[in-house]
Amino acid sequence: MNPALAFLRSDSGKRLGACLGLGVALALMTGATGRQDDYLYAIKEDLFTFHLIENLLIGVVVWLLFTFWPVIRRYLTRPGALGLLAGAMTVIVAQTVLGWYEPEDAKFSGLATLVGDTNGISALSSAFFGWLAWAQLIAVIVVGAAALVLRNRALFWVGAAMAVAAAIIASQAHKKVDELAGVVDHATGVTVAVWGYLTIAVALAIAAISTDDVARTREFVNAVLGWRPGFALGAAATALALYSLGVSSWFAPKSLNATLADVHSLFKGTSLAPIAVQYFIWLSWALVIVAGALVLVAAYFRSIILGIVGAAAAAVGLVITMISIHAITSLAANSENTYATKGPWQNLGDGAWWTCASFLALAAAGLVVAQSALKGRSATAADAAHDPSAGPRFLYAPGATLAVLGAAAAAAIFIPPTLEPSWQTALVTSIGIYMFLAIGLNVVVGWAGLLDLGFIAFYAIGAYTTAYLVGSLPVKPPFELPVLWAIPFAIAVCLIAGVILGFPTLRLRGDYLAIVTLGFGEIVRLVAVNSNGITNGPRGTEDQVPHPVINLGFVKFTFGLDQLPYWYLLLAVMVIVIIFFRRLENSRTGRAWAAIREDEVAAQAAGINPVKYKLLAFAIGASTSGIAGVLFATNVGFFNPDNFKFEFSILVLAYVVFGGMGSLPGAIAGAAVLTWLPEFLRDQVPSEDRQMYIGAVLVIMMIFRPAGLIPAKRRATELRGHGPDSAESQAVPAGGGLGGSYA
Amino acid sequence: MNDFIRYTIAGLTLGSMYALIALGYTLVYGVLQLINFAHSEVFMTGAFGSYIVVDTLVGGHGRQNGFMVVVVLGVGLITGALSGAGAAWLLERVAYRPLRRRGAPKLAFLISAIGASFFMSQLAGKLFNRQKNNSFPNFFDNRVLFSIGEADVRLLQVIIIVAAVVLMFFLDRLVQKTKLGRSIRAVAEDAPTAALMGINIDKTISRTFVIGGALGGAAGFLFALFSSLSYQMGFFPGTKAFAAAVLGGIGNPRGAMLGGLTLGLVENWSVMFLPSQWTNVIAFAVLVLVLMFRPSGILGERLGRAA
Amino acid sequence: MTSFAKAGTDSAPGAQPAAGVAFDVQDVTLRFGGVTSLNHVSLQMRRGEILAVIGPNGAGKTSLFNSLTGVYAPQEGRITLQAREGDEPVSVIGMKVHKVNHLGVARTFQNIRLFPALTAIENVKIGIETRQKSGPVSAMLGLPWQRREEHASTKRALELLSFVGLAHRANDIAGSLAYGEQRRLEIARAMGTNPSVLLLDEPAAGTNPVEKRELADLIKRINVEDGVSVLLIEHDMKLVMSIADRLVVLNFGQKIAEGTPEQIQRDPAVIAAYLGTTDEDAAKAELEAQPELRRIELLTDEERERENEGETL
Repeated sequence: MNPALAFLRSDSGKRLGACLGLGVALALMTGATGRQDDYLYAIKEDLFTFHLIENLLIGVVVWLLFTFWPVIRRYLTRPGALGLLAGAMTVIVAQTVLGWYEPEDAKFSGLATLVGDTNGISALSSAFFGWLAWAQLIAVIVVGAAALVLRNRALFWVGAAMAVAAAIIASQAHKKVDELAGVVDHATGVTVAVWGYLTIAVALAIAAISTDDVARTREFVNAVLGWRPGFALGAAATALALYSLGVSSWFAPKSLNATLADVHSLFKGTSLAPIAVQYFIWLSWALVIVAGALVLVAAYFRSIILGIVGAAAAAVGLVITMISIHAITSLAANSENTYATKGPWQNLGDGAWWTCASFLALAAAGLVVAQSALKGRSATAADAAHDPSAGPRFLYAPGATLAVLGAAAAAAIFIPPTLEPSWQTALVTSIGIYMFLAIGLNVVVGWAGLLDLGFIAFYAIGAYTTAYLVGSLPVKPPFELPVLWAIPFAIAVCLIAGVILGFPTLRLRGDYLAIVTLGFGEIVRLVAVNSNGITNGPRGTEDQVPHPVINLGFVKFTFGLDQLPYWYLLLAVMVIVIIFFRRLENSRTGRAWAAIREDEVAAQAAGINPVKYKLLAFAIGASTSGIAGVLFATNVGFFNPDNFKFEFSILVLAYVVFGGMGSLPGAIAGAAVLTWLPEFLRDQVPSEDRQMYIGAVLVIMMIFRPAGLIPAKRRATELRGHGPDSAESQAVPAGGGLGGSYA
Repeated sequence: MNDFIRYTIAGLTLGSMYALIALGYTLVYGVLQLINFAHSEVFMTGAFGSYIVVDTLVGGHGRQNGFMVVVVLGVGLITGALSGAGAAWLLERVAYRPLRRRGAPKLAFLISAIGASFFMSQLAGKLFNRQKNNSFPNFFDNRVLFSIGEADVRLLQVIIIVAAVVLMFFLDRLVQKTKLGRSIRAVAEDAPTAALMGINIDKTISRTFVIGGALGGAAGFLFALFSSLSYQMGFFPGTKAFAAAVLGGIGNPRGAMLGGLTLGLVENWSVMFLPSQWTNVIAFAVLVLVLMFRPSGILGERLGRAA
Repeated sequence: MTSFAKAGTDSAPGAQPAAGVAFDVQDVTLRFGGVTSLNHVSLQMRRGEILAVIGPNGAGKTSLFNSLTGVYAPQEGRITLQAREGDEPVSVIGMKVHKVNHLGVARTFQNIRLFPALTAIENVKIGIETRQKSGPVSAMLGLPWQRREEHASTKRALELLSFVGLAHRANDIAGSLAYGEQRRLEIARAMGTNPSVLLLDEPAAGTNPVEKRELADLIKRINVEDGVSVLLIEHDMKLVMSIADRLVVLNFGQKIAEGTPEQIQRDPAVIAAYLGTTDEDAAKAELEAQPELRRIELLTDEERERENEGETL
C-alpha cells in the first residue's frame, strides 16, 4: 500500500485528521461573522485566508502533543513540571484574556498601547509593557524547562528566583501605571499573572528540594495539606491578612485608594470610635498576628485547646474588623467632605474585605485543628480507605470538609463586596439563582434518577405565584402579601404542581418521562404567554414585583437596586436548603431514592413504594425551584415568559450533570462554573458566540470526565468497573443502556 | 368541511416533515437507547447546506418552469441529505463515540448532545448571520395544482408529501430488507449478541446516524422551501419530531412515521377549535395523554419488531 | 415492559386456607404469550417450615417466586397469603410488590440484586427502614424521633450484619463484596424487613462448599431462632436435602412431586425429570446404581444463569 495512504489509515493518521478538523473548527469558531447578503462570506474569510493556517497549526500542535504524549508525560511527571505548566498557562491567560486596566476596560495589549502613548511613565513600566512581560515569561519557562530536562538543582533555584523577580516586576510595573493615572483599578490581570509566577516559583522550588517521597507537585500539595490539618488554611489566611493589612486598599471612594495606614491619617481628628482608631493604628496587626500564631501553633502541636482559642481570637478579630470598617464608612457617609460615601459598608477597598475573609478562614482553621485532633490524630484511616479515582487525597483527611467549608464561606461572604457591580448582578441573577435550581434538580435527576427536561416550569410557577400574591398580575389576589411571604405559598403551589405532573407520568420510563416533562415545561410557558388576562401574556408582569423588606422588629432592612443584599439573602436561603438536603440524602428517604435508582425491582422487593418516593422527589425538587422563582421575581421586579424558556431547563440539567450527578457539591460547582463562564466570556468573545463555547465545553467535559466535576460518592462506583453496559443502564435506571433489555 | 380538508392537507404536509425528522430520532434511539438531542441541528445543517448549493447553482435566475422545479428539488434534496448525513456522522464521531468508548453514563450522552446542539446552532448563527427569516429565493411559483372541494392543494404541499413518502418508503425497505437494515435491527435488539455474530457495532451505529441525518437533512431542505431558514430553525420542528417519535413508539420507524403524521394533523386540526397560539399546547397535551394510556407509544417500541 | 396484564382478581371470596398455612397456592397458571410458565400448580407452605422448590431449569421455579411476591400476576388460580398467625388471609395476585413485602414476605434474587453503589450497612438499612415512619420533613429538620429511628435502624442493621457474618464489612461498598458475601448481604437485607416468610432464590449458586455449609447453617438459624418460614429454590441437592422439611418438584411448569426429602429422593418422576428422560424404568435403574442422589446437574452456574435470565424478569 502507498505509505502515505497507510499513514492516513493508521491510528496516528486518523488522529492527525481529527486534529486538523479541530483546526478547521477553531478557524470557523474564531473567524468572521456571516452576512445575510453573502452566505459564503464567513466561510470564505475563515477557510481561504491565513486565518485557517494559524488554526491548522494549533491542530498540528495538538496532534504532536498526542503523538509524543508518552515522551512528554515522562517529563511532565517530573517534580515541578505540572506547576511550571500551570503557572505559565496562568500568566499567558492573564496576559491575553484578562483585564489589566479597568478605567479603559483594557486588556494587556490595550494597556501596553496606552503606556506606549503616554509620556513620563517610569522606565520599568514602559519596558514591561513594551517587551519585558513576554520576554521574562519566556525566560522563566526556558530556564524552568531546562532545569527539568537536565534535572539540575541549581538551575531550579535560578528559575524560581527568576519567577519571583518576574512577579515583582509585573506588580511594580502595573502599580506605577496606576499611580501615574491616579485611579482605582480592580482589574484582575496583574494579580493573576503574579499568582502564575508565584506558582512557577513554588513549583520549581519544590522540584529543587524534592525527595523520593514528594516526587510530584500533586504529592507535595497532598503532603502539605495533609501534614497538619488546618495548617495550610491557617497559613494561607494569615498571609492574605498580612498582605491586605500592608498593601491593599481599604477605603476607595472616588479616585482614592487608601491603605490601612492612609485610612488612619484620613480619619485623624474625626469622631471615629476609639476602637476603630486603635484598629487602624495597631490593633489590626495585633489581631492577625495573635490569631494566626495561635492557629498555626495549635496546628503544629495538634492542640485542641489552642485551636479553639485561636478560632475565638480570629472571631474577635473578625468582629472588630467589621465594627471598624462599618465605623469609617458610616462616618464617611454622614460627612460632607469629598470622600463621602453612599452609606455604611460602601466604597470599601478589597483589603478590608480580604481581611474579614482571612479572619473567617482563620477561625475555620482553628476549628479544623480542634476537630481533627479530636478525631484521633490518625490520618492513616483516611489514607487506607482512599480511592485514588475519587479525587485528591487531602479532601479525605480529617477536618478537610470543615476546611473547605470554611474557605468557601469566607469567599462566599466577603469576596462579593469586592466585585464590580456588573459581576455582583451576575452573581445574583445568574450564578446564585441557577445554583439554587441545580440543587433542586439534583434531587430529581441525581438522587431519584428521573430525567426531567421541564424543570424550569416550576421556577416559572414560583415566580408567577409571587407576582400574583403581591398583585403584580392583571388578576389580583384577595389580599396582597409582602413579597417574602410568597415563599411558603410558592413552595406549596410547586409541590402540588410537581405531584400533578408526577402522578400520571411517573410510571413512564426514563425517556418518555423526559419528553412528557419537556412538554409540561412548554405548556406552562405557553400558557403564560397566551393567557393575557391572567399573566399579562408575553409582556410579562404588569406592575413591578416589590423588592423584599425584612422586618424583624428590631432590625428593618429594605432591599433596593444594590445586588449585594440579594446575594446574602440567596446565600442564607441556599445554606438552609443545603443543610436540609444534606440531611435528607443521608436519611431513609435519601437511601430509598438511591435504592430505586440503582434497582427498582429490588427496591420494591425490599418494601419500598417507588411511586411514593418518585413523587416525593418531584415535589421536593419542584418546591426548591419555586423558592428560586420567588427570589428571582423579587430581584428583577419585571419578568416575562421568555425567562422560562426550554433552553433554561436544559441548561440546569447540564449544570447538574457537569458538576456530577447526585452530588450536592457537584451540582453547586457545576452551576457556578457554567454560569460564571458566559459572564467571563462576555469580555473575551462576541457575546452572541458565547453559547457556542459553552456547547464545546460541555462536549469536551463529557468526553474526558463524564462523571462530572465532583462525582457523587454513591455514583462513583457505578461508573467504574462495570463496563459500559451496566454503567449506562444505571444512569437513568428506568431506562436502559446500550443493548440493555427492558423485558 | 372545506376547512377540514384544508387543515388536513396542511397537517399532512407538516406531519410528513415531522415524520422525516422523527425517523432520525427513532433510528438512533433504536441502536443506542439515547435521545439524540442534536438531531434538530442536523436538520438545520441540511437546510443551510442545500440552500448554499442551490443558491449558488440556480439562485438569481428567475426562470420558472417544470425543468427548474425538478433540478432544484433534486439538487436540494441530495445536498440537504448529504449535509445532514455529514453533520450526523461528525456528531457521532465527536460527541458520541468517545463517550461510548469510556462507558459514560446515559445522561452524559444527553449533555454531550446538548452541548453539540448549542455548538452547531450557534456556529451556524455565526457563519450564516443570525437573521431569523432568511427565505429561499422563489425558485418556482407555489401555484395551486388542484382543489378538493374548495380547499386548494398547492405545488409545494404535493412536493413535500410526495418526497417524504418516497423517502420513507425507501427507508422502510432499507431497514426491512437490506443487510445494513438487518444489522441495525440486530444492534437495536441486542448489541452484545450482535457483536458476537460478527456485526461491527461502531460501523452500524455510524451508518444509522448517517441515514437518520440524511433524512433529517432532506427534511431541512423541504422545511426551508416551505417556510424560512435560520440557525434556530431546528428547535421547534426538532422538539415536535422528537415528541412524534415518542408518540409513535420510539425506536420504531413506522411508529415515527405515524407519530409525525398524527402530530401534524392534530396541530392543524386544533386550529379549527382554538386560536392558533394554543397549537403547541395542544400538541404537547396530546402527547401526554397518549403516553398516559399507551406508555410505550402508539405502536410500541422495538426497532427489531418494526414489521 | 412486558405486556401481560395484571389480572384484577382481588381477594377471592371464600379463600380460606387451612390453619397454619402461610402461602396457599391453588391451581395457578401463568402464561407469557404462548409459553405456559406455571401450569395448574397447587401447593401449600406451612408456617415455620423450610419448603424447597426444586426442578430442572425452566421448570418455573422463579416464575413461582415472582407470582408469590406480586411481580407476576398469574392468569388463573389463587394465591392466598397469611404470613403471620392471626393475619387476615389476602390474595397476592395483582397486589403491588412492596405491599406483599409489607405483609411479611421478603425475598432474594437468583442473580443477586443488591444496591451495588451503596455500602453493605446502607443496603440492610434500606430493608429495615421500609417499616419506619419518619418522613422527609423530619429528616430535614433532624427531629428527635427521626434520629431515634435512624439509630434504631443502624443498630438493627449491625445486628443483622453480624448475624450473617458481615459485620466487619459494614462500611464497604456492596458491589465490592465477594460473591458469597453478596448473597448473605441480600439475605440480611431481606431479614431487615422483618419477614415471616423468606423466599430464597438459589442462595447457594456460585458459592464454594465451605460457604454452602455456612449458608445451610444460616438458613436453619433463620428458621429456628427467628421462626421465619423459608421457601427455598436450590439446585444443590445436598444442601436442600439437609435442611428442607418438605420439597416440591416442578417440571415444565407442573408440579410433579411433593413430600419429604426421603420421599422425593425415591420418586421416579423426579429422577426422570432430572435426567431428562421419560422412561421411568431407566431412571429407576439409574437410581439403584446411584443410591444417594446428589446433585444431578449438568450445567455450570453461569450457563444456568444465562438460561434463566429471561425468566428472572
